[in-house]
Amino acid sequence: MFKKWISVSLAGILAMGLAACSSEESSQAGETAAADYPERGLTIVAPSGAGGGWDLTARAIAKTMNNTGLIEEPIMVENKPGGGGAVYMAEYATKEVDNDHMLLVKSPPILINNNKAEGNSPFGYKDTTPLAQLTRDYGAIVVRADSEFQTLTDVLDAVKADPTAVTFAGGSAPGSMDHLVGILPAFEYGIDPKSVKYVSYDGGGEAVAALLGDNADVIATDASTIGEYMKSGDVRVLAVSAPERLEGELSEIPTFKEEGIDTEFTIWRGIFGPKNMSDTAYNYWSEKLEELSNSEEWKQELERNGWQSEYKNGEDFEEYLKNQEQLIVELLTALDMQK
Amino acid sequence: MSTLQFLMDGFSIAFQWQNILFAFVGVLIGTAVGVLPGIGPMSGVALLIPVTATITSGMPTEAAAASSIILLAGVYYGAMYGGSTTSILLNTPGESSSVVTTLDGYQMARQGRAGAALSIAAIGSFAAGIVSLIGLVLLAEPLSNVALQFGPAEYFSLMLLGLAAVSGLAGKSMTKALMMTVFGLMLGTIGIDAVSGIARFTYDLPILYSGLEFLTIAVGLFALGEVFKTILEREHEDGTIAKIGRILPTRQDLKESAKPIMRGSLLGFFIGVLPGAGATLASFFSYIAEKKFSKTPEKFGTGAIAGVAGPESANNAASGGAMIPLLTLGIPGSGTTAILMGALIMYNIQPGPLLFDDHPEVAWGLIASMFVGNLMLLILNMPLVKVFAKIIETPKKYLLPIIIAISFFGVYAVQYTTFDLLLLLACGILGYLLVKNDFPVAPLVLALVLGPMIENNLRRALTISNGEFMIFFTKPLSLILLIVAAAWLLIPLMLKLKGRTIVLNEED
Repeated sequence: MFKKWISVSLAGILAMGLAACSSEESSQAGETAAADYPERGLTIVAPSGAGGGWDLTARAIAKTMNNTGLIEEPIMVENKPGGGGAVYMAEYATKEVDNDHMLLVKSPPILINNNKAEGNSPFGYKDTTPLAQLTRDYGAIVVRADSEFQTLTDVLDAVKADPTAVTFAGGSAPGSMDHLVGILPAFEYGIDPKSVKYVSYDGGGEAVAALLGDNADVIATDASTIGEYMKSGDVRVLAVSAPERLEGELSEIPTFKEEGIDTEFTIWRGIFGPKNMSDTAYNYWSEKLEELSNSEEWKQELERNGWQSEYKNGEDFEEYLKNQEQLIVELLTALDMQK
Repeated sequence: MSTLQFLMDGFSIAFQWQNILFAFVGVLIGTAVGVLPGIGPMSGVALLIPVTATITSGMPTEAAAASSIILLAGVYYGAMYGGSTTSILLNTPGESSSVVTTLDGYQMARQGRAGAALSIAAIGSFAAGIVSLIGLVLLAEPLSNVALQFGPAEYFSLMLLGLAAVSGLAGKSMTKALMMTVFGLMLGTIGIDAVSGIARFTYDLPILYSGLEFLTIAVGLFALGEVFKTILEREHEDGTIAKIGRILPTRQDLKESAKPIMRGSLLGFFIGVLPGAGATLASFFSYIAEKKFSKTPEKFGTGAIAGVAGPESANNAASGGAMIPLLTLGIPGSGTTAILMGALIMYNIQPGPLLFDDHPEVAWGLIASMFVGNLMLLILNMPLVKVFAKIIETPKKYLLPIIIAISFFGVYAVQYTTFDLLLLLACGILGYLLVKNDFPVAPLVLALVLGPMIENNLRRALTISNGEFMIFFTKPLSLILLIVAAAWLLIPLMLKLKGRTIVLNEED
């Protein structure tokens, strides 16, 4: 009995929250939308569990689209975890290939997983229709505040002299994002990337802990999360992987290019449609996403999550993915980890 | 301002009417989340983030952040209270941190002592909550530095100690326990290896890339295994098992539990502080330690109340301890704390070294509200014991389908894949066969948790030291842990040998 009562009250609380959401939506939703698309509810899939970057992005898109009334059809967010996104990727590229109502949020692993030998995902961005890039982040090369390294080239020279003397760390396995960001400058500097000593931890937080606890000399991590540690004086950021200087608290930090290493790496997040997406659906989403990226609500949503806005439409995004894929294949080949 | 002054300010925030309400709603939902195996603390907290964001949207950012985090943290530690309920009553662990509670808790329930087991779990959780909060207030600063000192070498030695202690989970045969341990270690190798990025035993199936889910295996082995056993062996004698004695623990129970609760609280708190170790490990370590300290270790596994009191205190204390790296370093020690951190970031509040300086009202308000929330949980849970304990009186023919349904819903709600349901079923059958042949399943489950951690930290440490094994002996913390592990294995052996020589001498 009591158990029932608890679940009822839990449901009630959830319903109250939902009711609060939906009343807001209906009051803000105004005019009518396009005629034949969408015919029914839309779904954005986050190919991970609840709470990660993909999930938060998918929920932010769904919420803002509905709240602003850009799309009146309810947008659901579904979590499909497994294999670092590879499990759902396979389903998306085969079973959902004609489903105009199913969209997908992804980031660089869509390129990386498709091209590396181990843990390979047989499907990549070519098996989807890229609709837009929405956010961006960059990699940062970080050392402890009391580190002997003052610049990125100090680190690289030390690695060149003796690769066993410098320990790199990052929050993910070799052949994945943090590793590639960390290795990239060394690779471009002419160091054999296989010789770089890289220790992988479970997530960026643990990598920062390893750096602070003197269990790593250099870490590669997301530029957006490191600012707080820099402000507290615990760490120094040596360089960021952005094409030009960042705004805000990292504005003093040089880019790879300024340090004489001619490369860049963007940690983007974007939204994809199925490969055989109809023109109607493609045009519908292109238009809505463009409007979304210009809306005030989206800017607030980005700010709330600490994300940087970068909008690329479908065509530019696809072109960009092609270039990024080349870089990644090159890097994986140098690491002997390519497919 | 002194710590005490900050804490008082925190209480003035926690005692605002809306925050009392938020804490209450949080712990209430948390209890439900803990009791219902369909939903774990992680998904519970994640699902509530948008809800709290909506409710608090009218408030100023700081106050909104404090209120939401009070609610969300309430769900987190509330779930630790509730998690023991299904373990004890149905042998179905709802959370991985209450797996070990099934060992003695379920046996107690079968003997009609479900009430005592549930109450002692609630009392232990309360005591642990308070201990870990006092620890959080007094030791946050120094302990965050200790947590940082814990590098790969130290983790490896700690985990090795855990593995050395696996004998504590053995049933009748040590050999069988060791076989199960090795089996668990092998299962732990499935998936993409985090250190080299190589896929092992995945047969190119993407579903296996992230390895086997611990909770699926634990629920299959414990809950479904028990269901199959009951069905196949036709245990009809419902009435004798189901009789509930008293609800409250006897004075003897309390006396037997007092020390385990204290030890469990301290152990759990310190393990919780280490990022990545977490509540599951804390509960296992506490169980093993209690068995070691006990004067009657043979009673463990047959319904020893210390085997419930210790682990249940430990997992609750660990959730308090895990707040230290989260708040002072911005390093989430577990999936749930990572989501709590995400919630704070949503309000533009970055947990980390500056949190206590930049947003004292959020940090101290949260800590103070946890005192209030723990008290609420005790008051809420004690009357519930009576209600829950009745569940076990349900006839088997109704109870078994419910357990099966709860297991399947629970696993699916966490994993969202049908693969895990098949795995669950397979583990159920395996669990039945193993238990029937006297193979203990607890060592398997512990090895599955420890295996990847031992392996990854061993290899991380060796990468750092360029392959030099001395790293484990030159780091003082690591050396101490290794010595304890060696002592754990060798002392009983030596005592045995010594005992034999004495006997021999007497014969001479």
